[in-house]
Formats: sequence, C-alpha cells, structure tokens
Amino acid sequence: MKNTDNTTADQVTPGRTSGAGRLLITVYGVFAISASARAGYQIATHFGDAPVAYLLSAFAAAVYIIATISLAKPGRTWATVATVAICIELLGVLVVGSLSLFDAQAFPHATVWSMFGKGYGFVPLLLPIIGLWWLYRHRAAASK
Amino acid sequence: MTVDGWFIAGMIVGLASSLVCVVAAVLKKKPNDVTLLALAAVELFIVVYAVASIVRLAMGAGIVGAPWEFWGYMFTAAALPVAGFYWAMMERSFWSNYVMSAVGVTVVVMLARMAQIWYGTGLSVQGLQQGIGS
Repeated sequence: MKNTDNTTADQVTPGRTSGAGRLLITVYGVFAISASARAGYQIATHFGDAPVAYLLSAFAAAVYIIATISLAKPGRTWATVATVAICIELLGVLVVGSLSLFDAQAFPHATVWSMFGKGYGFVPLLLPIIGLWWLYRHRAAASK
Repeated sequence: MTVDGWFIAGMIVGLASSLVCVVAAVLKKKPNDVTLLALAAVELFIVVYAVASIVRLAMGAGIVGAPWEFWGYMFTAAALPVAGFYWAMMERSFWSNYVMSAVGVTVVVMLARMAQIWYGTGLSVQGLQQGIGS
C-alpha cells in the first residue's frame, strides 16, 4: 500500500482495487448478496406485513450492490460512484439506526441498518467508515 | 435452533478453514496449497451435506421450513468457495488469504440458518435470525 504515495496523474487509481481493497470488496459483496436475498425473501413472502421496512431492505441491498461494483471497478468515475454510494450507506445506517433506537414503534421489523446493524455485529456501521477512509486514502489517484 | 452433527461438523470445517487462512495471511504468505485445501474442504463439506440432505429427504425426512429457501442457502454456500477462489486468485498476495478466510465464517453463518430452516424456528431464535443472510 506504500506504493500509492508516488502515484502519477496518468495512472488509474492503482491500489484502490487491490490488496486490502479486495478484502473490502469481498465484505461488501457478502453484504450485497445477503441483503438482496433477505430483501427478496421478505418481499416475496410477507411484503404486506411491513412494506416500508422491506422496501428499505431492498434499498439497502441496492446500495450495497452499487458500492460493491463501484469499489471493484478502477477509474475515477467509479471512485466517485463508490463515494456517493457509501455516503448514502453511512447516512442510511445512521438515520435508520437512530430512528430504530429512539422510535422503536416505527421500525418493528428488522432491516440491515436497524440498531446500527447490531444484528450483524455492527459491521454495517463500521463498513461505510472503513470504505470512506479507504477511498480517502486513494483520493490522490482518484481526483486527478 | 437445533444443533445437529451436520452443523457441528460444518462449524469445525468452516472455522478451521478461516483460521488457517487468517494465520497464513498474518504470516504474509501468498495463497498456497494449505490455504487452497482449506477452502476446498469447505466446498467438499457443502457437497457432502447437499448429497446427504437429498438422501435424508429421500428416506423420509422433511424440511420444516421452506425447502426452496434451504436449497437457496445450499446453492449460495456451494458457490462461495468457488467465488472466493477466483476473487483471491485474480491477485495473488497475502490479502487473498484474508479474502479466502471470509468464506469459512460466512458458510458457518449460512449453515446455522439452514439448520433453522431444516428443523423449524422457534421464537427463541429471533435474535439469531437477524444474522447475515436471514
């Protein structure tokens, strides 16, 4: 990862999609798959129970899918897409996490982001922070 | 959830596989025969579990939960070591071992959910249902 310090402008974000980046993409991939499967199952079997919560699950799944793909693709455009997706993800986990904590009645049905992702070992809360930090570390190559 | 021999065996294989890969990664080793065999062991377990599940169903056992959900998990769990292998081999560095270590634990979580579907879930396992993949 040290080699990212001397990147030149014409190089396309070296390092962002390699090394630890691949592990980050892997974790995002696992969340994209599990969130999609969960949302799909909820909507297919008992959508009527809690349409808002399940649509939120589907939205979260979409955000994870976009984040996974954009993190895996090299180039500054994809870096921007990844940053936007991960910012939405962070906003989502903070808003849904806060609402589920202070207004539990509004979210009786669990989503990935409920209670700041407690059901998932708080990984949904840590993931966007690590993701943004990772993108920030590789900003030099991304912004030129 | 009912903890049966399949889940215990799968948990041992999955966690051991992850542990081997993490140790190899911490030692900064590139993926080698040991870590690839650890990944292959997870795949082998899933295949054996799938075949055994078909045999058990043929012999009259039943899935309490939705069968398509059980087999959906089975299919995804079988695909994970393959996907992990390809993703890790595209760049052979010690980071690939961390990537491969993610497969074992993910499969264990999925096996837990599969055991819930097989034996049926009570209210006592609501907490666990919030786990990955539920």
